[in-house]
Amino acid sequence: MLSLRQRALLGGIASGALSVGVGTLAVFSYIDSRVSNRFDTALRDRHTQLVVGLSVTTQNPDFLRDLMFDPAYSAPYSGRYWQVTNSDGEIFTSASLFDETIAEPPGSPENVTLWTTSGPEDEAVRSAYQEITYEDGTVWGISVAESQTQLIDERRAAQRSLLPVFAVVGLIGVAGSLLLMSIILGPLRKLQTDVAHRWDSDDDLKPADYPNEVAPLVEDLNQLMRRNRDIVSGSRRHAADLAHALKTPTTILRNELQGLSETGVKTDIAQEALDRVDAQLSRSLARLRAMNTAELTHSRTDLAHSVDRLARLFSTIAERDGKVLEVKSDPELWVRMDTQDIEEVLGNLLDNAVKWCRSTVRLTAKRQEGCIEIRIEDNGPGIPEDARREALRSGGRLDTSVRGSGLGLAIAIDLLNAYGARLDLGISDSLGGLKGRVAIPTKISATSE
Amino acid sequence: MRVLLAEDEPHLCEQVKKLLNAEGRVVDIVNNGVDALHLGTTEPYDMIILDLGLPERDGISVLREWRGAGIKTPVLILTARDGWSERVDGLDAGADDYMTKPFHLPELAARVRAILRRQSGQLNPVIEMGNVVLDTRNGRVTADGVPVDLTAQEIAVLTYLAHNAGRLIPRTELSEHIYEYDGDRDSNTIAVFINRLRKKLGPDLITTVRGRGYMIDSI
Repeated sequence: MLSLRQRALLGGIASGALSVGVGTLAVFSYIDSRVSNRFDTALRDRHTQLVVGLSVTTQNPDFLRDLMFDPAYSAPYSGRYWQVTNSDGEIFTSASLFDETIAEPPGSPENVTLWTTSGPEDEAVRSAYQEITYEDGTVWGISVAESQTQLIDERRAAQRSLLPVFAVVGLIGVAGSLLLMSIILGPLRKLQTDVAHRWDSDDDLKPADYPNEVAPLVEDLNQLMRRNRDIVSGSRRHAADLAHALKTPTTILRNELQGLSETGVKTDIAQEALDRVDAQLSRSLARLRAMNTAELTHSRTDLAHSVDRLARLFSTIAERDGKVLEVKSDPELWVRMDTQDIEEVLGNLLDNAVKWCRSTVRLTAKRQEGCIEIRIEDNGPGIPEDARREALRSGGRLDTSVRGSGLGLAIAIDLLNAYGARLDLGISDSLGGLKGRVAIPTKISATSE
Repeated sequence: MRVLLAEDEPHLCEQVKKLLNAEGRVVDIVNNGVDALHLGTTEPYDMIILDLGLPERDGISVLREWRGAGIKTPVLILTARDGWSERVDGLDAGADDYMTKPFHLPELAARVRAILRRQSGQLNPVIEMGNVVLDTRNGRVTADGVPVDLTAQEIAVLTYLAHNAGRLIPRTELSEHIYEYDGDRDSNTIAVFINRLRKKLGPDLITTVRGRGYMIDSI
């Protein structure tokens, strides 16, 4: 679909072209009319001059050539001609006609008749003709004619001088349309910016900051965002209630099985089945949460704060086992993820690293080109390359006895995928064990949006 | 040792109570947040096991109110909320430990013992008092290496005195920590338990300070 800007440009061009076209036609038509009128007036004046001249030379028409002193009447085919014809059919012409004559209109009109006919060498000429009876009783057909070449040249010159003006007018029209659209789109651009910043805070947009035509849309957006928030919190509440409703009974079942096994009853198969139920339940609940959260919230999380919170917890856990957690995080790092989700991802990866390392886990968080990068490295046994690919591909097989196949990694991958982020597994250059690299895009992609 | 269990699932309560009773601990059960807040504030528990998803009042807010009121009783959170954010929130709110459901009862018992040991400064789960040895992991007692059969109440009295060795325990305090909330707290029965323990474990283990209480010497 065309953007509003493209529509404005095309609309501006179309309306500019139409207005320039219509304007050009109107102005050219006016110029045509003005030039023709002026031409005809000049022709009438020359006709009058010839009529007056003939009035004193009816008895000796050849003398007219001396009376009509315009040099153009003397040069052959100069484009300016006169011709008089008496009732006997004798024709007297200007020297410019040389051996040619000018046609006379039919009907011998007694009023000056202007018409277009062909002159010498088939040249188009404009002619003024009138039949006049002088006081001495002689009747003369009197014609003056002028080549239309000059008229056409004059018209073309006027058109040529006006064309650039119309081109400028057309461009001004297009630019005006764009300017107008830009002014109209201003509030929409502000809305776009405000909505983008709105994801960073929980404040509603203010309809009063927008024109009357946009304010209802802003109110609708507020309602939509409130509804999204409600859906997310409802979904999370639902997931929490479901977790509580299912995990407590499975705990009771587990304890009953434990009691039975202590009396000698074989419960291994049942307990293993229960383990699978618990694991699948945890993963499904995490997926349920991730599904709605990533689509409906555009949360930002202070990563340094979350890293600090988790570091407190995992430092204690690591110290309990005689291990060390090293943390190095750039200040002012923000990620476009819900706080609980990013902490769940990092918590699962740290839990895995602390569990499998020999002595040291290192967490590094820093800004990279286009993303925030978090590395969690350890000096444990690592995961073979094939198993790493399998772990990332399948999202874990839920086998806690094999590193990289546990539930935590599967949940981390699900959550990161929901946000368009990714997890890579490799070998730590500095510690030699597993390296988990989380890359969270700094801009929301179209797919994750 | 007296434990408050705040959990709204009755079957789970029974399982946990049975587990802790077997180790000589007395357990009071509440099934909502309001009662948990009240008992945790007014009764001298040795530790509290707190579910977060309690009816009427959320466990986290109850815990924050206890800590705000200066209640220092150790708290173990036992919840279905297994997110890392929630764990950090729970520990930041003042919990001493955090366990998620589903859990194994033996692990819960071990964590309860660890918390109680830390609380009393006893780092070893096996407490030796001269020739008498108390294994807090299973409530078993030996005298001169010979197992001694004690009742649950006798184990409760011995455990409380052993965890507070070197400190004179008034009879009322002892009764507050070995009887349930609704139990008959006849302090004369305390004297009966003390006498039975002396007969089974030797006359010198527990010292009576007349009119003030009982004491086991520092270990």
